[in-house]
Amino acid sequence: MISRRTLLRGAGVGALVVAVPVPALAAEGLVPNVFVRLDDAGRITATVPRPDTGQGVRTVVALMVAEELAVQAGDVSLEQAPGDTERFGSQAVANSTSVRQLSTPIRTAAATARCLLVTAAAQRWRVPVAECTARDGFVCHPRRGKLPYRALVRAAAALDPATVPVELTPPEKWRLLGKTRGGRVDARDVVTGRTRYGIDARPPGGLVAVVARPPWIGAVPDTVDDTATRALPGVVDVLTLTAPADGQGGVAVIARSTHQALRGRDALRITWRGGTPTADSRAWLADLRAALPAQAPIAGVQQVYSMPLLAHAPMEPMNATAHVRPDGVTIWAPTQDPGGLRTQLARQLGVPAASVRVEATASGGAFGRRIEPDPVLEAVACSRRAGAPVQVLWTRADDMRNDSYRPMSVHRMSAEIGSDGLPVRRAHEVVTWPLTVLPFFANPALIKASGDHFPYTVPGEVSVVVRPAPLRTGFWRSVYAGQFVYAEENFLSEIGRRSGLDQVALRRSLLPAGSRLHKVLDAVADRAHWTRPPAPGTSRGVACLEEYGSAIAVIAVAEPGSRKVLRVHAAVDVGVALHPSGVRAQVEGCVVDALSTVLGAQITVREGAVAESSFGDYRWARIGQTPDIDVTIVRSDAPLGGLGELAYPPAAAAIASAIAGDTPVTSMPFGTAVG
Amino acid sequence: MARYLLRVNGERREVDVDGDTPLLWVLRDELGLTGVKYGCGVGLCGACTSHVDGAAARPCVRTAADSAQTRITTIEGLSRDGDHPVQRAWRELDVAQCGYCQPGQVMAAAALLARDPDPDDAAIEEALRDNVCRCGSYPRIRDAVRRASRIMREER
Repeated sequence: MISRRTLLRGAGVGALVVAVPVPALAAEGLVPNVFVRLDDAGRITATVPRPDTGQGVRTVVALMVAEELAVQAGDVSLEQAPGDTERFGSQAVANSTSVRQLSTPIRTAAATARCLLVTAAAQRWRVPVAECTARDGFVCHPRRGKLPYRALVRAAAALDPATVPVELTPPEKWRLLGKTRGGRVDARDVVTGRTRYGIDARPPGGLVAVVARPPWIGAVPDTVDDTATRALPGVVDVLTLTAPADGQGGVAVIARSTHQALRGRDALRITWRGGTPTADSRAWLADLRAALPAQAPIAGVQQVYSMPLLAHAPMEPMNATAHVRPDGVTIWAPTQDPGGLRTQLARQLGVPAASVRVEATASGGAFGRRIEPDPVLEAVACSRRAGAPVQVLWTRADDMRNDSYRPMSVHRMSAEIGSDGLPVRRAHEVVTWPLTVLPFFANPALIKASGDHFPYTVPGEVSVVVRPAPLRTGFWRSVYAGQFVYAEENFLSEIGRRSGLDQVALRRSLLPAGSRLHKVLDAVADRAHWTRPPAPGTSRGVACLEEYGSAIAVIAVAEPGSRKVLRVHAAVDVGVALHPSGVRAQVEGCVVDALSTVLGAQITVREGAVAESSFGDYRWARIGQTPDIDVTIVRSDAPLGGLGELAYPPAAAAIASAIAGDTPVTSMPFGTAVG
Repeated sequence: MARYLLRVNGERREVDVDGDTPLLWVLRDELGLTGVKYGCGVGLCGACTSHVDGAAARPCVRTAADSAQTRITTIEGLSRDGDHPVQRAWRELDVAQCGYCQPGQVMAAAALLARDPDPDDAAIEEALRDNVCRCGSYPRIRDAVRRASRIMREER
């Protein structure tokens, strides 16, 4: 056993947890910490500190609390934490950290409540604590019978937690965590339409705003004639938004309903100035290629890979609702970082953080886009003007054309090949753009750290040249690893093809024996029956990645002739998979992202503007293009790993290699002009 | 502005809007049926899929005026208790990730099964072709439609 304080200190946000006064007043039930409480009726409520953007963090929190309190997941009511980093620590959904960083604090929080209840029962029965166990909402004793939690809440709340040792339930005793059965805790709300996303926030008296956005990149309003707009029914006000304080800038029309706001926007007459009205993404790609040094560092095998712009395009378009009052601000937003958003708003508005409330709603996808605050800043500006709650809604075209895109990049790979056909030395030269939404991401070392995870025992160098970004760029699932790994794995496949080597055997020989990657590669090769020759007309691709504390290997099977992907197998090691269905879901999602971006989804810029406007021309995969996806979970002793972004880079590489068959891959999308 | 009488989820609802207002915004803004999701507004993504006279339809490309005298069912009215076979199958197979597209997927699947109780993969893929899921839940959707078909057969 370890003391509760020791445990919490090791929990990452430990100091914040123990800073909460314990025990709380008995009248409030048992409130041992910010994450878990029991009321006098014994009802359990857990607070989920990070937003659920589809990664399933609410389900994992419910499972962790139910596991430690010896109840079912359905017995735990969930509350979504508002933004408050002082109470909850980092609340950012980023870098595949949600479950990794919450596991110890949440489980410890629930185990603390259980140990207090068990101790209270033992004292009442005057028996040793070790003879008592928690089960199904009761504390049980072999001779004394059982007491429901509700009968113990007050006594437990009166205990000094410092005197009660806390022990986490060991994995071999888990009933819920790590088990295959059981889905999302919010599933019933989802399939009945009851889940409230940001777009569903409807504060009383609320108005709706849409924003006329720049018709080309970087344009700002010069003259605005809103006469016709203001004459329309339902239009309340028109205001010019100025970047960066008010978001990305434009002209907002505030109205009583969405349709009236959209009609009001159509009636605006705006002239624009500035920006880059002739920009073209084909020229941007040419600029990146021209920035490669004249000669590759290695004169052997060479290949250049071109990577496109990608948009996030979550199903729920950007939106935010704000209510600015004299005494404070309330925000309802699908955000990846409610805590950081609150801190930023307080600083920007010059008000105490305590007067800013950020409600993190359910989020209809995020993929990195909702780490940015721009829709919220627009809503704040509109609400301040209107003196009422205002929801700013982005249309799909607004979203597609004003995103923070994944940067274009060019990768020149070169390698020296040994007599056995394997690479003995390699070089990877990258030319790309920074992430403009986070200025310090212009540092080449940081870009390299984000992208470079080459796991094979081939010495070499990775160099990064950063060119100025010609439009907004941001964090897109897997960030730079999406581009780097695609180039590296496709190049390794190219070397294997030229040397006539088996793609799995070649990778095996370049991975340390006994490594996590070696094991998942073996597992996926087994699942894909790798040693059998592929069926006539089919081809296979392989790729690996170890990152976010996890390891994955992917094998894709495709028909190069029809460009049809038939099957994708993945084997993944996240240490212990707390919610196996959720683990599979994250891999499946990454595989569909990979499929989409390899088969043709890309953003292009013509005459200064993003050409794509919706799902008709941003060609995301549909159900009929989606192969069967087979995910094997490989358990290991490694600490809990992250997963949300792990599978995208290797899945994209494996799928491209499979579709390419006997031809080299040189771009994403495969076989399509980039830019 | 004009008054339109709509029949939504078995109830008669009167709304006072411009006739060209998309049905999507009538349902969401006027009637508070926020389970009908906005995804594209131009009939390309399927997030708002509902039933009009029993068939799958896109409220974002129909108007209030078009919709008078039609029978509209939204996700909120698909079943009394959330236990339509499609909804049960979606839960059993843990289909949803973010869930935003799923009301539309569920409504498209329910309309398919109402006219074709035992669809093959090609029929499933045809019926759900224009329902985009950005989280990539397609393999589970395919399995869940088959599962719902089986539930309906077993309970017939």
